[in-house]
Amino acid sequence: MDEKGDVTLQKCGVRFKPPTLVIVYAHNDTGKLRKRSMPVRLLKQESKVSQVAEELCQHPKHGMYLKKIPLWQLEKMLCLMQNKLKGLSLDESLEATTQEYSINANEDLNKLDDEALEKKKTVMSESFEKNRKKPGDLDYVYDIEVDFNSVNASGQSEWDSD
Amino acid sequence: MSMADGKSPDYDQESKSGDTTVKVICLGDSAVGKSKLVERFLMDNYQPQQLSTYALTLFRYHTKLNEDNVCVDFWDTAGQERFSNMHPSYYHQAHACILVFDVSRKVTYKNLPMWLKELRDYRPEIPCLCAANKIDVDYKITQKSFNFAKKQGMPFYFVSASDGTNVVKLFRDAINAAVSYKNNSTDYMDEVMRELETFNSMGLTDSGFDTPDGAENKSITDGPSIS
Ligand SMILES: Nc1nc2c(ncn2[C@@H]2O[C@H](COP(=O)(O)OP(=O)(O)O)[C@@H](O)[C@H]2O)c(=O)[nH]1
Ligand SMILES: [Mg+2]
Repeated sequence: MDEKGDVTLQKCGVRFKPPTLVIVYAHNDTGKLRKRSMPVRLLKQESKVSQVAEELCQHPKHGMYLKKIPLWQLEKMLCLMQNKLKGLSLDESLEATTQEYSINANEDLNKLDDEALEKKKTVMSESFEKNRKKPGDLDYVYDIEVDFNSVNASGQSEWDSD
Repeated sequence: MSMADGKSPDYDQESKSGDTTVKVICLGDSAVGKSKLVERFLMDNYQPQQLSTYALTLFRYHTKLNEDNVCVDFWDTAGQERFSNMHPSYYHQAHACILVFDVSRKVTYKNLPMWLKELRDYRPEIPCLCAANKIDVDYKITQKSFNFAKKQGMPFYFVSASDGTNVVKLFRDAINAAVSYKNNSTDYMDEVMRELETFNSMGLTDSGFDTPDGAENKSITDGPSIS
């Protein structure tokens, strides 16, 4: 909540010349749509996108809007811009970033380097944060026990059968 | 292999205060949630210590077990699982292991035998508990049973480091198992056998446990021969 009332994000995207993040959001009280363009000057070919994303989220004017984008999605857009700076075609770039920022149940993450693994963890942390119960939450209990054995009735996991 | 570099505690030695000190390790693929599970159990209640030599972190935790003071070191990796094998110092003198997979990623389940094999190469006998993490992503998964743990005679837990479900139970059981193991008692194995008996009486798919002389059953009672 800020003094202008809360907003809901509708869409986000990138423009390449100059590197710019564009978001469309609605004011919750009036329903009015607004477009916001945010030039990203700090992004260089060799920047670490996770750092740039973090700095952008601290921006006095844009920060509150950018924080509404799942972090991995913000990073992915920055990667697209960065790939453009590096001279990759849009198709190549989309394919690469989509692979980097998605979770494949059969991909062995033990083989990734630090930075690639970090990207996967950024994607994973969306559900972690969403489902999280922490001290201070009304329904937080330190020692929460649920017995699933009595209810696991629907049989063997398919993962055992191959 | 020696840990006598003055950096890692010697877990075979009684601590100065006479308290029991045990070492518990977490094992499993990258990004299954090992670090988050340890964090969720400890909350802020620990003193982290960096073992710079091997890029490992240990979290020291004090608790009481039947009136006795127990000091538990949880060891966490700084990503060595990425090379699919850990430095031997990670396993050295460990008293219990929590083996973790991610219920949203099949490959992490399929890699469990590899982790268990590595563990057994270093620590043939220590109790090992199996944790299926991230059940918050889709609670339906808890209606399924997973054969691996049962086949290996390991206690099995559905957990979520995110919403906290069964995390404290898992770690308390691990501490208990570690202390029992260190005190050389057979209680832990008895406990496992009891767990298996309850599984049986609940009429779940048994996969070998209904034959008392079956190979799997043997390997449970003769802990050391698990490989
Ligand atoms: N939804 C969900 N995400 C989790 C859970 N535990 C861990 N994660 C996410 O999974 C990723 C990897 O966790 P981490 O503890 O770093 O895994 P490690 O490499 O095994 O230590 C992080 O992005 C976490 O946010 C969980 O119980 N539920
Ligand atoms: Mg970790």
